[in-house]
Amino acid sequence: MKLWIPLMVGTVLGLSVMPTLAFAQERVRDTTERKAPLKVWGAQFEEFEYRYSDDDEELGVWSGDFFYGTDALKVRWLTKGEYAIEEQAYEKLENQIVGQIPISDFFDAKAGIRFDTPEGPDRTYAVLGVAGLAPQWFEIDANLYVSKDGDTSAALDAEYELLFTNYWILSATLDATVAFSEDREIGVGKGLVSTETGLRLSYDLIDRAFSPYVGVVYERKYGNTADFAREDGGGTEDWFAVVGARLLF
Amino acid sequence: MSVSKFVVAALAMSVSAVALGAGAHEDGHGQGAKSGEPGKASDAGRSITVQMYDNYYEPESIDVKPGETVRFVVENKGSLVHEFNIGTPAMHESHQKEMTMMVEHGVIQGGKLNRDMMEMDMGNGMSMKHDDPNSLLLEAGESQEVVWKFSEKGNIEFACNVPGHYQAGMYGEVNFN
Amino acid sequence: MKTTLLAGALGLLLPVIGLAGEYNLTVDRVQIDTGDFVKEGIGYNGASPGPVLRFKEGEEVSINVTNNLNEMTSIHWHGMILPFTQDGVPGISFPGIEPGETFTYKFPITQSGTYWFHSHSGFQEPDGAYGAIVIEPEGREPFRYDRDYVVQLTDKHPHSGDRIMRNLKIMPDYYNREQQTVGEFFSEASDNGLMATVKDRMAWGDMRMMKADVEDLQGFTGLINGKGPDQNWTGIFEPGERIRLRFINSSAMTYFDIRIPGLEMTVVQADGNNVQPVTVDEFRIGVAETYDVIVRPKEEQAYTIFAESMGRSGYARGTLAPEAGMVAAVPELREAARLTMADMSGMEGMDHSSMAGMEGMSGMDHSGMAGMEGMDHSKMTGMDHSGMKGMEGMDHSKMAGMDHSGMKGMEGMDHSAMGEGSMASMGGASDPFYAEGSGLVPTAANGGKFLSYADLRAQKPLYDEREPTREIELKLTGNMERYTWSINGVKYEDADPIRLQYGERVRFKFVNTTMMTHPMHLHGMWSMLDVGAGQFNPVKHTISVQPGTTVYMETEVDEPGQWAFHCHLSYHAAAGMFRKVIVEGGPASTQAASDDQPGNVGGDA
Repeated sequence: MKLWIPLMVGTVLGLSVMPTLAFAQERVRDTTERKAPLKVWGAQFEEFEYRYSDDDEELGVWSGDFFYGTDALKVRWLTKGEYAIEEQAYEKLENQIVGQIPISDFFDAKAGIRFDTPEGPDRTYAVLGVAGLAPQWFEIDANLYVSKDGDTSAALDAEYELLFTNYWILSATLDATVAFSEDREIGVGKGLVSTETGLRLSYDLIDRAFSPYVGVVYERKYGNTADFAREDGGGTEDWFAVVGARLLF
Repeated sequence: MSVSKFVVAALAMSVSAVALGAGAHEDGHGQGAKSGEPGKASDAGRSITVQMYDNYYEPESIDVKPGETVRFVVENKGSLVHEFNIGTPAMHESHQKEMTMMVEHGVIQGGKLNRDMMEMDMGNGMSMKHDDPNSLLLEAGESQEVVWKFSEKGNIEFACNVPGHYQAGMYGEVNFN
Repeated sequence: MKTTLLAGALGLLLPVIGLAGEYNLTVDRVQIDTGDFVKEGIGYNGASPGPVLRFKEGEEVSINVTNNLNEMTSIHWHGMILPFTQDGVPGISFPGIEPGETFTYKFPITQSGTYWFHSHSGFQEPDGAYGAIVIEPEGREPFRYDRDYVVQLTDKHPHSGDRIMRNLKIMPDYYNREQQTVGEFFSEASDNGLMATVKDRMAWGDMRMMKADVEDLQGFTGLINGKGPDQNWTGIFEPGERIRLRFINSSAMTYFDIRIPGLEMTVVQADGNNVQPVTVDEFRIGVAETYDVIVRPKEEQAYTIFAESMGRSGYARGTLAPEAGMVAAVPELREAARLTMADMSGMEGMDHSSMAGMEGMSGMDHSGMAGMEGMDHSKMTGMDHSGMKGMEGMDHSKMAGMDHSGMKGMEGMDHSAMGEGSMASMGGASDPFYAEGSGLVPTAANGGKFLSYADLRAQKPLYDEREPTREIELKLTGNMERYTWSINGVKYEDADPIRLQYGERVRFKFVNTTMMTHPMHLHGMWSMLDVGAGQFNPVKHTISVQPGTTVYMETEVDEPGQWAFHCHLSYHAAAGMFRKVIVEGGPASTQAASDDQPGNVGGDA
């Protein structure tokens, strides 16, 4: 008759203990680094070179980036420059800050801002791009730029590497820029603006960290951009012998 | 069990006479005569019980006199098929090759023997019947006897030539006093 | 008189007290000299590798571990069955060992054989924190030998583990110096024709995968017991002796193919458990696996122990000799391994019809096909038969190149029509645990026998045979370009734990959709690898799953608590190929014990 009291007490106690038991199963939670996304940082310079043109022009040129992040999101600072040694002026100086996220197995999407601060007028652009590895091993970097004034342009960078040996590597690069509107101030005409093609033979001297190379670069301006260049007293095409090193840390 | 025991014993007796001339087998068997010969049960002065485990014998050595006839009572107390084979190390080595073939053809399956497969004609007059007079091939739990007359002093071992067992240490020394 | 009485009384009591061993380990920064380079790393008791811990089955061990580093550390006892709180995985078993702290592991030894231990924090293990465990059995072993040596392998690299991980994330082929070159293109073109070679390159280029992707980490110096090839670890023997070699693969990323030219090896233990002896000329040891072999050198000469990496980029070398200083010839490395399309067959969403060079039915899993009477087998080359039963009445005369190792019940076969050569050579180079036509199928350098998982049988079954209560499929997945590795497409950081019930028998199905081999290691409970031998399936702790294959293993869930379950390739585990397993329920007494566990405490991975 009086059994229901201990029965009730027992059930209540049992019910109250149950959550603790379930919690106890996962008591040792994994708060170690392993349970947090893997963070990676790096610095690399695909180009870090001295260029000597057929017009006796000497340039110091670099193209590199610094990044930090996880698989889900990386923040990158990309920097590109062409420094004319004699004139002591930057013919080209671009710095971009972008955020990059994966959108497929082999491609990332990126968005950010680009600051151009060469000798001459400055420009700021919003950047939207896609970067990754296309079939047959072409590294692709395609970007859309929109300036504050609404000038839009697009750039496609492609690179292909050929392994002569596991240490001697020939890389072929193509950078092409197309402008959808004219920007006379900085000498950009509508249509195909310019292409830069390069062929560089590098040797992996220290792991992949330091790979000196020699090569040849051909720059050319087209259409209206070429006209503007001639008007400004400059050339429309140049051949360069280059010597430099790829860096990766 | 006792029927097959009789059959095997009878086979062993009848085959023993042609053991020397069993041309279908490899060299090892021609040397069968060197380690001794099947003995007559009535000549056996004593009985030695040899127990086979996975993968070792108890005892691990026996003492005999040259010319002595001994009856071996061999019990397989393991869970795998084991052999009790009296011979020289060279005979054991060549017999291992034959046993490897038996395993590859599924004659030896863990603790059991596929006796039908043993009858299979392998071509060239070869079969996988394990009917050498100097050895017993026993399933897990089986027991059998073999009577052996040792000849002169020699480098004789009793061994199990099921692939891998000899290398793992399933052999014992025959010491001649 | 009194002292003798006392001594006598103590003697009577000893069996009651039981064996209790106390061991001390310090975790220190050490110098590691491989002969090729010197690097600072981490070791135990002042050295890398650490000491060989020798336990006895039945002993209660107490191991005091003092952390002399300025970062968290831990020690995991690989292959040991023990209470989960003693398993040594920070975040899963316990919070970890703080710098300066001494933590005491206490657990009973309920097994015997060869095992090993290593740090489970960060990349301390690749940096040198590993050692061996040798456990003497209570009874006698099913084999005998005159002396034994631990032969512990590792792939020591001049870069630290943290640096290697970062480099692999930035550039997945950072360390791969065996990639296909222009030279290889031309030599292949002259062998196979220009169009065939172009088609082949394009097929792989389309997938953006490299055939050369066998070893992620190259440029290491292989060490045996801490000694590089030039330093030449040597084990002394007397000719005629049987020697037991306890091979342990403690490397971070490297599978080794081991042979001793001139000596055959009889495998008697795999992952610490006795197997029915198999005599081989060469065997492949996956990361974290152990194999105990018996050799019997009869000549008064030196023998080289040669451990060639699976991708053929490096090697470890030691010597067995009757006298110190004697050396034998060291073989040359064989040609770099190359994957084939068969190794890609596990990839999901691939259009197989466009894949060049695919013949026959590579990579199919036939184990579900029962009742194959009356089939036309003439076109079926090289099938994986290990799951097929009941092949009565088949016409075998046209079946070339079959692998019979798993087949039972071949009664009534007519062998007379089967071509020359022994049954062993009928399969050519094939191994049921590799995709049919795989480029990784191992062959013995001397043309002899190479060990396969299919050859392993437990000496004695550990558990009664019973039907599994359920099957859990684990797809081994990854993205080489991003160097992310995962299970079922989910990395550890995003994954829920795998929940198992105490008392069930789980059948794990590993489906390798990647093109790399993964040694899968479940902590705390045995993995019974399904080789088709039922009760005699080998009992292991680490199971290597080859590209494009599906492998099954069963686990009796009889250890409560939380356990790690991961690919033992160090940089894959860190990149996400890791899971926590929670065993719910258990015997009442252990349930209460788990309630007392400390809660959220941070620690180093």
